Amino acid sequence: MKTISITSVPGYDEWRIASRACLAQSIPPEEIIWQSSQSIQDDLFGDNGQTTKVYEPKATHSIPKSVLALFKYALCHKDASRFALCYRVLWRVIFENRNLIQLKTDNDILRLNALVKAVKRDAYKMSAFLRFRKLVIEEQEHFVAWYEPEHFSLEIKLNFFQTRFKNMRWSILTPYRAAHWDTENLTLGDNPDSSAYPDDDQIEKYWLTYYANIFNPARIKKSAMLSSMPKKYWKNMPETALIEDMINKSNARARKMILDGKKS
Amino acid sequence: MQDKLIQKLEILSDAAKYDASCASGSAGKRKAGKTDKTGIGSLTGGSGICHSFTPDGRCVSLLKILMTNYCIYDCHYCINRVSSSVRRARFTVKETVDLTLNFYKRNYIEGLFLSSGIVGSPDLTMESMVRIAKSLRIDHGFKGYIHLKTIPNASPELQTEAGLYADRLSINVEMPTQPSLNKYAPEKDLGAIHGSMNTLKDKIAEHKADKSYSGKRPPSFAPGGQSTQMIVGADDSSDKIILKTSVNLYKQQKLRRVYYSAFSPIPDASEVLPLKPAPLMREHRLYQADWLLRFYGFNLDEILQNDMLDMEHDPKLAWALRNRHVFPIDLNKADKQLLLRVPGLGARTVQKILAIRRYTKLSWVDLTKMRLPLQKLKPFISVSDYLPAIHLLDSAHFELQFKQPKQFELFAT
Repeated sequence: MKTISITSVPGYDEWRIASRACLAQSIPPEEIIWQSSQSIQDDLFGDNGQTTKVYEPKATHSIPKSVLALFKYALCHKDASRFALCYRVLWRVIFENRNLIQLKTDNDILRLNALVKAVKRDAYKMSAFLRFRKLVIEEQEHFVAWYEPEHFSLEIKLNFFQTRFKNMRWSILTPYRAAHWDTENLTLGDNPDSSAYPDDDQIEKYWLTYYANIFNPARIKKSAMLSSMPKKYWKNMPETALIEDMINKSNARARKMILDGKKS
Repeated sequence: MQDKLIQKLEILSDAAKYDASCASGSAGKRKAGKTDKTGIGSLTGGSGICHSFTPDGRCVSLLKILMTNYCIYDCHYCINRVSSSVRRARFTVKETVDLTLNFYKRNYIEGLFLSSGIVGSPDLTMESMVRIAKSLRIDHGFKGYIHLKTIPNASPELQTEAGLYADRLSINVEMPTQPSLNKYAPEKDLGAIHGSMNTLKDKIAEHKADKSYSGKRPPSFAPGGQSTQMIVGADDSSDKIILKTSVNLYKQQKLRRVYYSAFSPIPDASEVLPLKPAPLMREHRLYQADWLLRFYGFNLDEILQNDMLDMEHDPKLAWALRNRHVFPIDLNKADKQLLLRVPGLGARTVQKILAIRRYTKLSWVDLTKMRLPLQKLKPFISVSDYLPAIHLLDSAHFELQFKQPKQFELFAT
């Protein structure tokens, strides 16, 4: 049995290097225990204890790009079993069936796709629901966001934020990592402090005004709202504080529209 | 001064909420260039991001506002008609531009959806709207989404200029027939609206086709195409008339989307209007039918038996119930067109089935793993180890099991 500890999150690079090494030694998936922990600081291959340098053999197996693309998402899932699952799929793609990922009802592929889907959704919601607040530091605008993704989705969306807000200085803080962009360089840092997120922003009141007025009180569909924007996301979205009141008053507002209509 | 801006925003977003369209997609990808040191924004391709959802279940993707709700027209269904006593306001060009950029920088929105009442003249109004779009694009290097609701009767030059800055242009048809327009929107002329759409359609096609010898792309022109909206249930047009109008618009004007908006009572309504809101279910059924027409290979006669859509069953199920002889359909053999007709199978699921089929035969267990709506599918399909009991399709009570447990009722409580 071989034990491999992945010490970083999400752990994609570590997993890739370790998996290549395991493949080079033809170690089947059932003989590996993948451990995921940020606290374990052992060598990558703790059981032989001889290498301090990571040994990266040349790839002898070609892996379809589409498979690697799925791994990139799946390995950002918080589920600790992701490393073992991806290695098993890798192994099976190489030795069992190159078209394995097309078998969408295979149990491993189902699980892999479920992880991918969860991460994609989480990453999408991050790009949608994250809110920047403006700080002025030494007369320069700086935009700061605090966001708590369910998975390690920051990594997936860095490119999106860099592209969209290329000429803005911004910081995105998540519970596990922060990303800082100064219009040219990206810096990452671990375990950021959420108190760096400003309490308010001068534009936020306009956003709240807009949110409260753009909805139609005559057609409440709370369940539709909740399925697209479940409550777990609410805490970092300022406008959600208005929802309860908007719903409570909607019936009266809609009735008033009709009554006003009758009067004229 | 700031409070005044809040008041304006209140009035001019409230006035924009009756417009159903909120999509910010299908205009391709775009981002600030490497050497661009001031520009902001991107289009990610695909459909735009929904940055929030309101309690009516709608996606908030764009800053959807009116430039002004002053209007010289007197369309009865419209809260901003000249004879309405609603509070009036008007944004300046700068206010609109600043608000858009400020919202965008905080990741609230994908861009701007600007509509307007008509102040002064159609041309004057359109000109201000174009100035807003131009300022965003040229002065601020804005790469986000811009949707302009073009003003009917504005000059072709202004409409053409609008297309240089906007991703999508739209003109609301509002009513499917001229007699209805005469009654509810006396200043609106269906012919003129179609004329406008036609001009823009040609421009869009021209810019898409045109590639000069240098290989340089011509400036893009409304890459997201055109859309429109029809109000449902204010006049007495049937679903058949509405859908026929849509089919024509898709075909002749190459529209990307037709939106349906169930008539909803507006404050200070005109007495020509019905007092009751149109059922949301009707709007829902029209969207379902619209989808079947565009993506599922159905034609109008198949969907509509008489003038109105079935409220009880969705149009695909209703078709299946009328055509039971076609079923059960073998999911391992049927071609794509036929699979798309199975109630409970969406376009995506059909793609999945086709992909899996190349490598393995589908069995019942596979269907459970794919989390398909088996109760709905059961009578209509067969797979390698499952064939529906024959009485399922023949039973006289067959339809009952698909009855909606309850209808959408607006004021049920």
